Amino acid sequence: MKKVALLLALIFIGLQVFSQTREITGTVTSAEDGGAIPGVSVLVKGTTLGTVTDLEGRFRLQVPNNAQTLVFSFVGMTSQEVAIGNQNTFRIQLKAETIGVDEVVVTALGIKREKREVTYQTQKVDQGELTKIAPTRVASALAGKVAGLQINVQDNGVNPSSQILLRGMRSITGDNSALIVIDGSIASQGAFDALNPSDIADISVLKGATAAALYGSSAGNGALIVTTKAGQASRKFIVGVNASFTMDKVAYMPDFQTEYGTGWEGAYDPVENTNWGPRFDGTLRQIGPTFPEGYGLETQIVPYAPVKDNLLHFFQTGQTFNNTVYLTGSSDNSSYYISVGDQRAEGIVLDDTYRRNTFRVNATKKLGKLELSATTSYFTDKTDVVGSTIGDQDRPLYWFILNTSANIPLEKYKDWQNPKSYGYADNYYNAYYQNPYWAIGTNRNIDETNRLNGNINLSYDILDWLNFTARASVNNVWGNGKNWRAAQTYNEELQPAHSAVSSFVEDSEFQTKTYTGDALVTGSFKFYDSFSLKAILGSTVYSTDYRGSTIRANNLSIPGFYDISNGTGKLEGTVDESLKRYYGFFGDFTLGYKNYLFLNFSGRNDWTSTLAKGSNSYFYPAAGLSFVVTDAINALKNNNILSYAKVTFSNSTVYNDLAPYRINEKYYQHVSFPFGTVNGFYLDPAAVDASITKEKINTTEVGLNLGFFQSRVWLDASFFNTITSDLITATTPSVSSGSTSFLTNIGELQGKGIELTLGGSILKTKDFKWDVNINYTSNETVVNEIYEGLDEVAITTTGQYGVYAVVGKAFPQMKANVYKRDPQGRIIVDPASGHPLTETGLANLGKTIPDYIVGLSSSATYKGFTVSATFDYRTGHVYYEQGSDQMEFTGRSKESVSANRQDFVIPNSVIETSPGVYVENTNIPVSGGRQSYWTDVYNDVKSNYVKDATALKLRELAVNYELPRNLISKTPFQKISFGFIGRNLLTWLPAENRFSDPEFNNTRSTDPANAVGVGGYLQSPPTKSFGFNLNVEF
Amino acid sequence: MKKFLKYASLLSVVVLMAACQDFLDVNEDPNNPVSVSPDLVLPTAQVYTANVMHNNRYLNNLGNMMMYNWSQSDGYAWYPDEFKYNVTSSFYQQIFNYSYSNTLKMYHVLDQLDSTYSYYRAIGKIMKAYHFQLLVDCYGNIPYSEALKRSGEATPKYDDAKTIYEDLVVQLTDAIRLINEGENAKVPGADDAIFGGDMSKWKKFANSVKLRILIRQSSMSGRETYLKEQFNIIASEGSGYITADVGVNPGYTNIENQQNPFWDTFGKDVSGTETMNNKATCATDYILTFLTGTNDPRIDRIYEKPSDGHLGVPQGLLDYDTPVVDAYVPEKVSNIGPGILKGANQNAIIYTLAESYFNQAEAHFRGLITTGDDAKTLYQKGIQASFDYLGATGAQAYYSQVKNLVGWDASANKLQAIITQKWIALNGLTAEQSWFDYNRTGFPAGLPISRLASTNDRPVRLFYPAGEYSSNGENVPAQPNAFTEKIFWGK
Repeated sequence: MKKVALLLALIFIGLQVFSQTREITGTVTSAEDGGAIPGVSVLVKGTTLGTVTDLEGRFRLQVPNNAQTLVFSFVGMTSQEVAIGNQNTFRIQLKAETIGVDEVVVTALGIKREKREVTYQTQKVDQGELTKIAPTRVASALAGKVAGLQINVQDNGVNPSSQILLRGMRSITGDNSALIVIDGSIASQGAFDALNPSDIADISVLKGATAAALYGSSAGNGALIVTTKAGQASRKFIVGVNASFTMDKVAYMPDFQTEYGTGWEGAYDPVENTNWGPRFDGTLRQIGPTFPEGYGLETQIVPYAPVKDNLLHFFQTGQTFNNTVYLTGSSDNSSYYISVGDQRAEGIVLDDTYRRNTFRVNATKKLGKLELSATTSYFTDKTDVVGSTIGDQDRPLYWFILNTSANIPLEKYKDWQNPKSYGYADNYYNAYYQNPYWAIGTNRNIDETNRLNGNINLSYDILDWLNFTARASVNNVWGNGKNWRAAQTYNEELQPAHSAVSSFVEDSEFQTKTYTGDALVTGSFKFYDSFSLKAILGSTVYSTDYRGSTIRANNLSIPGFYDISNGTGKLEGTVDESLKRYYGFFGDFTLGYKNYLFLNFSGRNDWTSTLAKGSNSYFYPAAGLSFVVTDAINALKNNNILSYAKVTFSNSTVYNDLAPYRINEKYYQHVSFPFGTVNGFYLDPAAVDASITKEKINTTEVGLNLGFFQSRVWLDASFFNTITSDLITATTPSVSSGSTSFLTNIGELQGKGIELTLGGSILKTKDFKWDVNINYTSNETVVNEIYEGLDEVAITTTGQYGVYAVVGKAFPQMKANVYKRDPQGRIIVDPASGHPLTETGLANLGKTIPDYIVGLSSSATYKGFTVSATFDYRTGHVYYEQGSDQMEFTGRSKESVSANRQDFVIPNSVIETSPGVYVENTNIPVSGGRQSYWTDVYNDVKSNYVKDATALKLRELAVNYELPRNLISKTPFQKISFGFIGRNLLTWLPAENRFSDPEFNNTRSTDPANAVGVGGYLQSPPTKSFGFNLNVEF
Repeated sequence: MKKFLKYASLLSVVVLMAACQDFLDVNEDPNNPVSVSPDLVLPTAQVYTANVMHNNRYLNNLGNMMMYNWSQSDGYAWYPDEFKYNVTSSFYQQIFNYSYSNTLKMYHVLDQLDSTYSYYRAIGKIMKAYHFQLLVDCYGNIPYSEALKRSGEATPKYDDAKTIYEDLVVQLTDAIRLINEGENAKVPGADDAIFGGDMSKWKKFANSVKLRILIRQSSMSGRETYLKEQFNIIASEGSGYITADVGVNPGYTNIENQQNPFWDTFGKDVSGTETMNNKATCATDYILTFLTGTNDPRIDRIYEKPSDGHLGVPQGLLDYDTPVVDAYVPEKVSNIGPGILKGANQNAIIYTLAESYFNQAEAHFRGLITTGDDAKTLYQKGIQASFDYLGATGAQAYYSQVKNLVGWDASANKLQAIITQKWIALNGLTAEQSWFDYNRTGFPAGLPISRLASTNDRPVRLFYPAGEYSSNGENVPAQPNAFTEKIFWGK
């Protein structure tokens, strides 16, 4: 409550108005072409009083009589200060900014630095870049826009999640996701996804550990520093509305065969989920069980012919409404920003819904030498989707869809509740997998999450050269979930093969409380004319406290009543709590020489709660150099072609610690216990090294920033080399050691990479502007060493395929079993069966993160029209298609009809007549070509499903029109813009990938976070979205 | 103000430093203990024992498939690998993995205890011997002397199978010594889900495990002296062998996760619905013919009799619909019977009394034991014990028939009769023992192989799991030939 009162006070102070004023007017034009510049901020210096120029570059402003200086600023232009004096009209010419020279960069711990003194590479993404297509999640809007950043959108449900990787991976089983910092406080990816994109002012991407080094143990993966809007500086009061509506449609389905239908081993079977029946002939055939006379439903008869797009039509068109209302303004020494957001979505799966609301109040206030700012936000959402453990086999929904044969008109089974319909459980055609519409109605997963975040920042200029800043933040996240499944029994006569589905209800609750505090003293000194020193000393403290519980009741007594009191048998439940704390002290010193050479040293020492006492303290050193060549060498000064050149070099060491409680092996209660009064525990499957300690990341980075033609074109380049050693890794020991994983410090990973960003304005005239930004990211992490006697660690594996860390190979590495081949690469077959032989071990089949990513974003503006697009191309990696693996069993794959369901001789195969002697196989066909070759032999060679993950995507396309200001000047509107927006409208995949989006991953659902590269039926088919947006300001 | 801020910031640093000691002292897991007493370890270990025997696709399941006891009903693609004898590095690899990572791990915890808990330690040793033998019988050379050390040895070496066998007997002798000397030790109670803390029964069981180990080596040449020596040690120890079927039962009941594992897999779920395995699994044609041909009353106890009479399916049948469509649907075939599927609360059998008698009968027959009941009596007691367990009557009438492989006197080859009767007695209970016997003796003779087999006979061993090649590649031997390279006792 106190906090609210403070904020209200700040807002009211901000609304004060001046009394003694006069009016001034003027125009602002470009120094280069003389064209008017609309949207230039005109501000009375030292106040927040101001306006912006209209389309003709004109402005009109009431200024206090005592106002002395006007500040004109515009993105991409050098700001200009003009004395007011007695002048009433002004003609101002703005010059294009020499990018990178005077720009201020927000770096670790919120420290603002001039770009020229920064000794490592960062990249800023501003509001305009993020909200072009009105995204609902910020992460997806970053894809393709920042060199070194890989965004994997892991699924496309109504509440999707992304993986954020900066410069690839550095740890085998540890966290590789970038640190998220919001308004100065360490946040989480959940908090990042919860942000309303409209609220974000900009994101500063600190690409490497060096840039983030001051964050200590959280720094290893780089950081995204998010700043939310603080308030419009140039206007007194604005009310705005951002509204968008988008529709989501399935972009493409897997390629299915449509020649064969329901059956088994070549014979027609009316109740099969598989497509191993005879060739389609168009005759009418029974499908599903035979109903007895008088049942009230005729036995179902359908043509034995493929139903076009039968599975595609299961999915509906999803829709999302996303609206934000914001109030922003400022006055003397204060500003504020208030927003309310509302998002409602319906998914492509029937009944999947999502709703969220966001609230934000940000305010700043300057009181002499003291500056206070506060940002607060509240977020609440509710996800209601189909459950993920459907049927007696606990399968996901897409599985049921894929297990529907080609001649089934799936969308006609919607009426699943009606006992006299073919969709009803007893009447449904499929004897093995249930009607997916039934699944939607009888399995639900409902989650609610709330987040309350508050940050307070206090900055006090003790002396001209000495500043004290303190920051405190609290993040409180809590939520609850309900997951339930209805029971289903079957009429044994009609559905003899179905097992009853048991019911359950699972309730969960969780809460996470995170507190962070920082205090910094900054001193700036100048000496001997040429030298400067900026020294920062500070301390930081962090504490995060989690508590989560679930309780589950099985075999419910009253149908449709989902409360744990309704369960029979034993209630199952767990409570998990964890607490992690650390604190640290740090110092950062930047020594400057003549404002073109900067030397930076920083160090931080942390003490953490999660390692053993005595080895829980560690020191992070970093050093860097920045050299602005164009200012240092006279011959290069004022050069019209190369206007700016800076080189940087830096090196840092950071350490990662552990999650809480990991240093000890523990006992856990076995799920079967207690039996009466007898309880039973089992020893941790994971063994832990008694001397486990921190892991070390050392990064060296070289960077180059060039600006050409007054920096209308710029090039940023960086090269990095990262060595991670003493990796904290859950290795895979021999199971005979009595443990299935062994947590220890092992080996070494080495990552190298190059990032290039080339950007600029290709054309710029009075009415037309065309900007292009191309970024190139190439990085690869290689496992140098694991452990003596251990060459690989499985991140996830089924035994037949998996994602591994393999010595000498790029990480993560896809492995799968493969055909046995002769020295010429021909498949060796068994002379008896004609079946291919397979190697005993698994082969390395390639890495699962790209060789390189090219992002291209471009926008062209003509008068009020803007067309912008973002492409992203990734290649050089592979992924495992779980769905096509399953489609082989169901006989729905293209491969399964490639030999017309006949026995055939495997092309380019050989037989081994005597050891090492191979003779071309021309006459031994595979047996079981009708079915069993495909289901039991081909389907067992999992390398068949490892596919090229290359993809080119048109991630964003927007066409926007902003109404000319003179047209609306007579209306209450200050701004009206609207347009068409599209997301993932086009995707190009290589011919061999006919299944799904290679970006999808099971890492959100079943696999560990680093097991990138396995996806399929746990996600829905890929979607494309398109719609409209509108932005109005009053 | 300036001064105040300066001091405040200094002060805050000092306060922070001072508070640090306690501030970081929060790394104790509130939800999971780092140590527990042995009475909380033992019942879990025994539940694991039951699971490795009776879970879906574990030892008993494997034995029933290999020994042609079980087949598959129409509508299920349940046992493709079993029917093809598709021994790969993933085929039944869970036997290896689960035994080490669950069962043996827990007994090894008990085996590390001090003299306060020497009874628990003895149980740990006995059960380790029980499980290590099963692993040797499936895999041959396995990690033993360096196994189960967890963080102490991530890549244990493989030891010679025969050497392991000999050490198991030594460990069992040591376990009996621990029991005899453990007067002041804490006695297990209800936490012992096998014998309820009756240590004299544990001694009998230790001897019975020895019996199993020794009999397994009885077909080897040059082993007689060793075996006789060991049987003498058992005789002089004097506790004798088990007197009842040995099973695990921590209190199995009709509750989720608390059902007997065999019932849970092949019987019904807690709501009373038959499981998929129940419907998918049925008798083979051969076993039904055999039981019918020997007038065996156990047929209706081992297999459930359908209303139209018993019907079995040949292993590996491809076309289920010729000549009669839907002839082999679950309702029409003989699924697993009521003598084996007794209920959710039944014991999980790990060693039957019948087997103990048949093992003794064989020892007598081979002249390794010369005192007590003779081979014929032991053989008949074995049959009687089998009838008793299955709930069948008429054992005496059955074994009194003048019928080869049924009546003792009528049987031309006594060893064949013992092994064949043991095969019937262990059907559905501990059928893996019959597979080992088959690999050792070739009995029962004339057992068909699956129609999908591409080899002349069934496999004689399993492949090492794939995981061993990736995580213990320097130690694991090359995969043996699963059809020709017998375990040492079968050579």
